[in-house]
Amino acid sequence: MTDPLLRVDGLTTHFHTDEGTVRAVDGVSFDVAAGETVAIVGESGSGKTVAAESITRLVDTPPGEIVDGRVTFGGRDLTTLSDRELEGVRGAEIAHVFQNPQDTLNPVYRVGTQIAEVLRIHGGVSRAEARRRAVTMLDRVGIPDPASRVDDYPHELSGGMKQRVVLAMALVAEPDLLIADEPTTALDVTVQAGILDLLAELQEDLGMGVLFVTHDLGVVAQVADRVVVLYAGKVMERGDVHEIFESPAHPYTRALLQCLPGRGERGGSIGGELPDPNDPPPGCRFAPRCPYAVDDCRAGGQPAAHPVDGDRTHVASCVFHGPGQDRSRLEAPVDWTGGQRARSQSEDADG
Amino acid sequence: MAAEDATSRDTGAHAFEEIDWDRIDARGGRSVDGWAITEAAILVGLLAGFVYDYSAGTPTELIGLDPTAVEWLFSIVLVLGTFHVAVPLAENPRLTARYWRTFRKNRVAVGSLGFLLSILALGVVGPMIWVPPNETIDFATAYRPPVFAGGSWAHALGTDAQGRHLWHLIVYGMRVSMEVGLVSTAIAISIGTVVGATAAHVGGYVDEGLMRYVDLQQTFPVFVLLLFLVYLFGPSLLFIVVLYGFFGWEGIGRLVRSETLQRTEAVYVRAAEAAGAGRWWIVRRHLIPNVSGTVITAATLAIPTFILGEAALAFLGFSDPAVFSWGRTIAAGRSDLASAPWISTIPGVFLFLTVLAFNFVGDALRDAMDPR
Repeated sequence: MTDPLLRVDGLTTHFHTDEGTVRAVDGVSFDVAAGETVAIVGESGSGKTVAAESITRLVDTPPGEIVDGRVTFGGRDLTTLSDRELEGVRGAEIAHVFQNPQDTLNPVYRVGTQIAEVLRIHGGVSRAEARRRAVTMLDRVGIPDPASRVDDYPHELSGGMKQRVVLAMALVAEPDLLIADEPTTALDVTVQAGILDLLAELQEDLGMGVLFVTHDLGVVAQVADRVVVLYAGKVMERGDVHEIFESPAHPYTRALLQCLPGRGERGGSIGGELPDPNDPPPGCRFAPRCPYAVDDCRAGGQPAAHPVDGDRTHVASCVFHGPGQDRSRLEAPVDWTGGQRARSQSEDADG
Repeated sequence: MAAEDATSRDTGAHAFEEIDWDRIDARGGRSVDGWAITEAAILVGLLAGFVYDYSAGTPTELIGLDPTAVEWLFSIVLVLGTFHVAVPLAENPRLTARYWRTFRKNRVAVGSLGFLLSILALGVVGPMIWVPPNETIDFATAYRPPVFAGGSWAHALGTDAQGRHLWHLIVYGMRVSMEVGLVSTAIAISIGTVVGATAAHVGGYVDEGLMRYVDLQQTFPVFVLLLFLVYLFGPSLLFIVVLYGFFGWEGIGRLVRSETLQRTEAVYVRAAEAAGAGRWWIVRRHLIPNVSGTVITAATLAIPTFILGEAALAFLGFSDPAVFSWGRTIAAGRSDLASAPWISTIPGVFLFLTVLAFNFVGDALRDAMDPR
């Protein structure tokens, strides 16, 4: 197998706060190949944004610190690059799109200037040439009349147009990897669909890899080739998008899918709440909320990423998928909303 | 479904539009460089003139003018103001229109702005039209009342104890007030912005050190230092202007620091970081332009304090006798307050209106540029 575009290996990012060390990202591994879209899914506070921003070390240090792990991109380990070298990678090779297009655009500059900025930062492009490329890019992201829009100020554009401009800013330097952190969350649904289609189209044109960070499984189903499910800073499950949606292996993934409207019997919520990030529980991070949890789940560290059904590309960090474990126990019907109560019931059933 | 259709029309089956590249090239790029070159040329010219003026030992006359050091500084500030305020506003008509729409709502401020612009214009060109007040000394026409108090149009604003035309004193005083206000503020803005932005962006001990120095300077009595310097070296407008500038920036420095810290959290700063921008690129291209609205507002409100400070020094008699400050005219008229009240009152009214107008304009600018 050829090397992927991006390989994240054991990435660990901590935040040093007055209340103690927050383990926002704790040993996360995944990879992104050229031309494919990998989605990082998780609820708020799962560490997905921190994981995405740790790749190019955008996390503020202090209070943040990338404690451990390797981020291999283009044959280099990004965690060991100097700040200057990293600045050369950011924007030119790895671009970011942030959540809120309203705030991503600087109110005092014309949109053309902002799109051209990344070209100017990395040098070698004249002002006139940068401007031409900004106009071409505006055209590519589907802004009508780009030749006059290039001189607009951000406040003169609608929300959807702004996000198109933000995409143009990210892509004008033709990066190899785009990290899109909830790029459509702030937009209404119709505009969101347009942006996602546009992103897919541009991805195909440019052949870039996309790391898509979202909490929205509906969006994941639409854009992703592969999925990384994150919970409390740990990878719960990783696999092909069809496998994740058709045969989710980890109880947490199943719980997430149950929450989707139109799936499962109830479409309810998961009982309990995220563990305290300063003091995570022993064993599996999801164990306190998991209706299937047994004693093994609450001891030691997070279970290893076990292959699901012998498939090395689909892994779940769950003891039930370990060697010699009886997976059929995961088939028992349970009450997701109950948390502790449901768990003790399932234990009774086991005993 | 409808949304998808709309999208495919927008992007999917999207035929590239015909783009008029000549039009784009004509509007982009060139003007900025052109202006910068013009500005640099004028500044170099001014500097060369200044050096020539002062290297010849005794100040020499240039094309019939004999500018003082303060006047050299004043012209430099006017050039900088033209290129960094007027030109950008003219280059970005839509942004200017947006500011103007808000500013215009404040009628008093619009009037104040007009008043200040006429004071500035009169202060700059007036001394070239009307002869210096001392050349109008004529004891035969002393204590003539202004035209609205029964005087004649020959002395529209009346005359003082030496028969000097009050109008000439007022016009020369306009230049002095504008010189003090604008030059001191320009110095204060420059230092304040650099210190504030550095403190905010470098942080740590640098921030701590700079801000403690600001605290120290704020408690420092500049007025007393000025009195001391006047005692040592004699009265000089240059001292006043430069010292007010160098010891009057702490408010702006603090403001720039806090605004910069706030803006550092902005998403567009993160976006610039993610685009590979270095620290100083972000400071120069993103932070300072975004705090400039606040700085301009603060500066507008700082100008009157410098003008009042100079007037106070002049009133106390610590000013260069060759400088026709309003403060000095007010002080000179005190002894005749009962018989010829206009001598003190008229420059007093001008001083009052100027200070008030700056405050009104500053308030309206804040509403227009910094709506929070």
